[in-house]
Amino acid sequence: MDKTLLKQQIIEALNLEDITPADIQDDAPLFGEGLGLDSIDALELFVLLDKQYGIKLQNKEEGKQVFRSVDTMAEYIDAHRTK
Amino acid sequence: MRIAITGIGIVSALGIGKEATLDALLREQSGIAAPVILATKHRECPVGEVRLSDDDLKERLGLTKDALLPRTSLLGLAAAREALADAKVSDTQAVPFINGTTVGGMDMTEQRWREREMYAETIVTHHTAGASTEAIAGQIGPFALQQTISTACSSALNAVMTGCNMLRIGRCTQVLAGGAESLSLFHFNGFRALQILSDDVCRPFAATRKGLNLGEGAAYVVLESEESAVSRGATIYGYIAGYGNACDAYHQTASSDNGEGAFRAMQQALLMAHVQPSAVDYINAHGTATPNNDSTEYAAMERLFGKQLPAYSSTKAFTGHATSAAGSIELVISLLAMQHGFVPASMHIDAPMPDTTNPVQHTLRKDLRFVLCNSFGFGGNDSSMLLSKSAAELSRTDGVKPVPTLADVCLSEAVDYKQYISPMQARRLTPALRQLVVAARQALEQAHIEMPDAIITATDLGCICYSVGLLNQLTDEGEDSLSPTLFMQSTHNTPSSLIAILLHAHGYNCTYSHGAQSYDQAMDDARRQISLGLIGTALVLAFDEEDVTWQALMQQAGKQYAPIIRATVLGA
Repeated sequence: MDKTLLKQQIIEALNLEDITPADIQDDAPLFGEGLGLDSIDALELFVLLDKQYGIKLQNKEEGKQVFRSVDTMAEYIDAHRTK
Repeated sequence: MRIAITGIGIVSALGIGKEATLDALLREQSGIAAPVILATKHRECPVGEVRLSDDDLKERLGLTKDALLPRTSLLGLAAAREALADAKVSDTQAVPFINGTTVGGMDMTEQRWREREMYAETIVTHHTAGASTEAIAGQIGPFALQQTISTACSSALNAVMTGCNMLRIGRCTQVLAGGAESLSLFHFNGFRALQILSDDVCRPFAATRKGLNLGEGAAYVVLESEESAVSRGATIYGYIAGYGNACDAYHQTASSDNGEGAFRAMQQALLMAHVQPSAVDYINAHGTATPNNDSTEYAAMERLFGKQLPAYSSTKAFTGHATSAAGSIELVISLLAMQHGFVPASMHIDAPMPDTTNPVQHTLRKDLRFVLCNSFGFGGNDSSMLLSKSAAELSRTDGVKPVPTLADVCLSEAVDYKQYISPMQARRLTPALRQLVVAARQALEQAHIEMPDAIITATDLGCICYSVGLLNQLTDEGEDSLSPTLFMQSTHNTPSSLIAILLHAHGYNCTYSHGAQSYDQAMDDARRQISLGLIGTALVLAFDEEDVTWQALMQQAGKQYAPIIRATVLGA
């Protein structure tokens, strides 16, 4: 899938003013030291996956695995998207 | 002076009235079940509903079916009438009514939002927290005054505290205080978006807990000076021995690991009462059954009480989490427990949290002299109140002293906020919230105060931009579409908590939401507490933001809309 598009969607969903897709490395951690995102951002990513790709994650634990980086998100979307 | 409780009224999933409540508590009969009144498709999430439709409630209350009252007010009216009748108070003209709510008329708004142009008048008339208080008062009053406190899930306990402070300055001899909250699709789905609702019965303080069950209801107490209570031969349930409110100042929806706000609130309650932790016989914990609340509340209790905690339980496994009404519902439950000598059970614990003192899991007969009741809300708004079976002394003062204004900043046009807020902080804030940060910082700078003892906010509509955003999502895209960020930021006490988080201000934090009177009510609170010596300085904020959708509805209904960003510093 188009990782730049995914980054753009993440930036919009999380309202990351001042950040561009180029600022986000494909394999860099999104949480913790990476962009400095918190648990509410993770919840927004649940909504993003549902709205954009028709994917409903089961729980926060699954979310933690999927949201490790843009790479892991893209991989999961490719395998599970329903739209 | 001594503050006695001479009347109680309660409505919850356990039924209507104190007898039904007591009976269910003693029989360990939970009121939690799949929703039947709330029109949600998510019936897998159990709730603590009051099992009466709006029409049934109206009939019980002697109202006609076409009476326009939000469900919050119907529940509130039932509990308020019971409390006043229980205290044998029939003339309320000298009695202030202090109400806590956040949902207010949201149920009416969300039902009409799709056709909002047609219902503009109804929506803007009934939507607000203050309007739902007026709707209750209108069926009972006249009262000496009506005020509305909206600090999310601690609203009702904060309303009782304000009532106590009014008695302590000699404003009155009786107060009706508590809170009311109905379920709404708005906050039910908001909590779902935050992934803190359980699809199972809630299990407070269990290792297996996985979230809360929302509840609804109302409860009020009649607070009365002992002198007045004795002179008219009133029944005394117990006394207010002490209370405290502190801000966790950590996050809008998560508590800090060591439960700083909860610890401070409980500590203040005991200090005010001059009571040692070892004297506490029972703690009615906030215990929502979310992993975060229960572990941080436990950490706070352990800091204050040591490894061996007093008997404690969460009664939310009975009632669900009745959000803004939870504080007074649990205060009334605590009073019933004290009156009848038992510790209510913390139900549904299949596996206890490891390395902890277990809560009381079955009704325990016990004489209770001191009971501590906790109530915490979004924004880390943490409150705790100590009840005493025998008379307890609180300081008092004669009236409100004049308090100087040290600074007053009113922003009428947008100014640069970037020196005060980082981009990561700003991204979740509407333009008006960013301006509020600037006003607060500038006012504190002008007053040469780094850390105010209290932050008290006045807002009519709360964060209306976020509320409108969520209403649009709910109406246009359905129950599964709500943004967790918008919901987290949509409570009326978001502005007050935001400033506390940025300043790391752990002091008293409160929000008044009662229409055009909100600012005066907030200022009165600050002056009362300064006069009583509870605080030395207060930052009083006024916040109402522009929203085009809401503005259009107001215009259609022929009502004035007054956005405001103001920060005032008061100091003794």
